[in-house]
Amino acid sequence: MENLSFEESLEKLEEIVNKLENGDVPLDDAIDEFKKAMDLVNICNTKLNNAEEAIAKIVQDNDDIVDFNMNE
Amino acid sequence: MEKEYLTVSQINAYINRKLKLDPNLKNIYVKGELSNINIYRSGHIYFTLKDEGSQISAVMFKGMTRFLNFKPKDGMKVIVKGKIEVYEKNGKYQLYAIRITEDGIGALYEAFEKLKKKLEAEGLFEDAHKKEIPKYPKKIGVVTAETGAAIRDIITTIKKRYPYCEILVFSTLVQGNQAAPQIVRQIRHAQQYDLDTLIVGRGGGSIEDLWPFNEEIVARAIYDCKIPVISAVGHEVDYTISDFVADARAPTPTGAAMIAVPDIREITLKLDQLTEKINRNINDKLGQNRARLENISQKQIFKNPESIYEIKGMNLDNLLNKLEYASKNIILENKNKLFQLENKNILKNPNDILRLKKEVYLKNLNKLEVLNPLVTLKRGYALTKVEGKIVSSAKDVKSGDKLDVEFDDGIVNTKVI
Repeated sequence: MENLSFEESLEKLEEIVNKLENGDVPLDDAIDEFKKAMDLVNICNTKLNNAEEAIAKIVQDNDDIVDFNMNE
Repeated sequence: MEKEYLTVSQINAYINRKLKLDPNLKNIYVKGELSNINIYRSGHIYFTLKDEGSQISAVMFKGMTRFLNFKPKDGMKVIVKGKIEVYEKNGKYQLYAIRITEDGIGALYEAFEKLKKKLEAEGLFEDAHKKEIPKYPKKIGVVTAETGAAIRDIITTIKKRYPYCEILVFSTLVQGNQAAPQIVRQIRHAQQYDLDTLIVGRGGGSIEDLWPFNEEIVARAIYDCKIPVISAVGHEVDYTISDFVADARAPTPTGAAMIAVPDIREITLKLDQLTEKINRNINDKLGQNRARLENISQKQIFKNPESIYEIKGMNLDNLLNKLEYASKNIILENKNKLFQLENKNILKNPNDILRLKKEVYLKNLNKLEVLNPLVTLKRGYALTKVEGKIVSSAKDVKSGDKLDVEFDDGIVNTKVI
C-alpha cells in the first residue's frame, strides 16, 4: 500500500469510508477495512508531511534547468 | 446711427447653437492619433486628436472613461465617437468623446470571430476532447514570460495552496508578432517533460497584447498537447481562442494556479473528516455488536444454566402426568364399557330372569302370609261365629245364642249365658 500515490491513497480511503458507511459490512471485515483505512490516513499524512517544498525552475531552450528567481 | 452689436458670449452661444443643430456633428466617428493626453484630477481626460495635417481638441468626461478598455497613450491610433460643440468659455470648438477604441480593432474582432467559427466547426472546442485536470499534480509546467507578473502570481499561488509540486517554467514572449510561434514551440517543448498539467497564458492587456492567444497555430498546439492545458489569459477581454480550445480556462494566472492544484487546507480537512467518519463508523459497529452480545448474555439461560434441566424436568413431569392420565382414562373407559356390556347381559340371562321372578314371588308370598287370618289364629287368637257369621262386636250377641269359637286346630260350640 506504501507504493500508492497520494491521490490513489486518498481515493482508496474515500472508497473504504463509503463502503463502511453504505454497506452492511460484517464486523470482522469492518475491522479489517478500518485497519486498512487508518494505514491509508497515515500514508496520506506522511506523504503530506514529507513532501518537498514547491520549487520553481526554468527549462531553457537547451534543456538546462535553472532555479527561477522570483525577484527578477 | 448706432450699429447693433453682439456680446462675445452671444456670438459663441450662437455658433454653438448652430453646431448643435447640425445633425452631421451630433454623432460622428473621427479617426486620428492621440497626443497631449492629460488626465485631470477630476477624472476627465483632455487630449488632442491629430493626423498628418490637422488637429482637434477633445475631451472625454469621467463618466465615459469607464467604457475605455485600454489605457490611452500618446501616439495611439484611435477612433473617437462623439459630437462637436463649442466650449463657450474660450470660444473653441472641440470633440466631446463618448467612446474611444483602438484603430484596427475592428479587423481583429473580425479575424477572431472567423477563426472561432472555423475551429468550432472543426470540433476543437468540444467537451469530448477535453482532458481532465489531475487533482494532485506532482509537476506543473507554465508557458509564459519569465519576466512577467503572471508567472509570479502562479508560483505564489501554488506555493500557498499546495506546496508539494514542482513548477517548470517554459519562457516565451507573450505579445508581438514573434510570440505565437514561440508559444507553440514551448508548448511542444513542455511535452518532453513528465508534466501533469500545463498552464499557458499571460497577464491582462489590450486585445492586441493578447492577440497571440487568438492565433490559429497556438490554438492547434494547445489542442494537440498531450498534457492537460489550462488557459490563463488576463481578464480584460472575455475570451481568447486559447480559452475555448484548452482543457480548462481561467480568467487570470492566479485562477489557473487555483485550478491546477488543490488547497492543502481542504485536503487536511478532508483527511480529518474521513478519519472521523471511519472512527465513528467502527465505534458504532463495535457498540452495536457489544450491545447484541450483552443482550444475549443477559438471557436467563446464561445466568442460570440449571434452568435448562429444570425446564426439561418439568417437561418430563408434564409428559408423565399426561401419560398417567391417559392410561387411567383408558382403563376407566374400558371399565365403563364392560359395565355397560354386563348390564345389557343381565337382562338377557335366563337364570337372572328366573331369580328376579322368584324374588317377586317370595315378596308377594310374604305379603299374603301377613294378611292370612288363619295365621293370626296360630298366635292364640280365635274367630267367633254365630250361625256361620263372624261376630266382631259384643253387642251382636245375646244370652242364649250359640257361638262357634274357631281355633287354629278346631271348633268349640258354646252358648252365651
